[in-house]
Amino acid sequence: MNIFCLKRFKDAFDKLSKKNSYKELEKQLIDYFFNKEISLILNGTRLNNSVNKPFIKKRLEGSGGFRIYFLALIKNENIYLMFVHSKTGSEGSDNITPESKALIYKEVLECIKSNNLYKLNLSKDGSK
Amino acid sequence: MECLTTKETIGKTIEIVKETSYAEKKSHIPERDDIDKFLDTLLIIQKKTNESSEKVEYINDCLEKLTWLNEVDEDSLKEINSLVGSAKYLHSILARQYILIGNLRKKGLSKEVIKRFKDSIDNLKESIFDLDSVFFGLPQIPGFLETTKELSLI
Repeated sequence: MNIFCLKRFKDAFDKLSKKNSYKELEKQLIDYFFNKEISLILNGTRLNNSVNKPFIKKRLEGSGGFRIYFLALIKNENIYLMFVHSKTGSEGSDNITPESKALIYKEVLECIKSNNLYKLNLSKDGSK
Repeated sequence: MECLTTKETIGKTIEIVKETSYAEKKSHIPERDDIDKFLDTLLIIQKKTNESSEKVEYINDCLEKLTWLNEVDEDSLKEINSLVGSAKYLHSILARQYILIGNLRKKGLSKEVIKRFKDSIDNLKESIFDLDSVFFGLPQIPGFLETTKELSLI
């Protein structure tokens, strides 16, 4: 499975990762997305009613209560991480508006078309 | 300033101890039965709260799974709309229950059990919002369906 992310995701991740209270985020992302069959991550809330290219909001449990938005292109086995936020703490927010969801959805399409993406790989020791 | 001798100081201390001892003996302290009843009640509250959390967590999963249905016609949309209303009513009942037992958490009792309950209620609110959004909100936002159509061509 190939994992990519948008700049929007990278910025949000970097901002959260700086805070000690969100140090779990990186581990939770690695545990959930890496070294897995794509079928195992197709759960959560499907936002776009698409069978082959679902736009998913996934709730990661734990102290941070993170919410991850991603697109899965099942046939190509590509995952595109679009945005992440926490439910709790100083950077926490309840949810994002439907308009914001629509915006990042459009953004991922544009980024795929222009190949404006970051490719994510684990380091050899599997930590990052 | 009064200057007490050694004997007077000891005598005064004895007096305080005796008075306190007598007062404590007469005062009401909880009997063993009272403490047992309190602990029993606390255990019942914990058990019921855990059962409620489990049910709400299950409902949250069910609401999420509905977003993966592929054949949703007009009648199904009406049913989902009705479900959103029922789920909102359930949330209001649970929120009232939380206000009652939330005080225990503030006093440091059953913290984990009550936190789990609170999280399940918060997630219910979010799941209802998302369900409504998937079937009624997002499709109405200009450009959303077009993005899906464009993605299907990639």
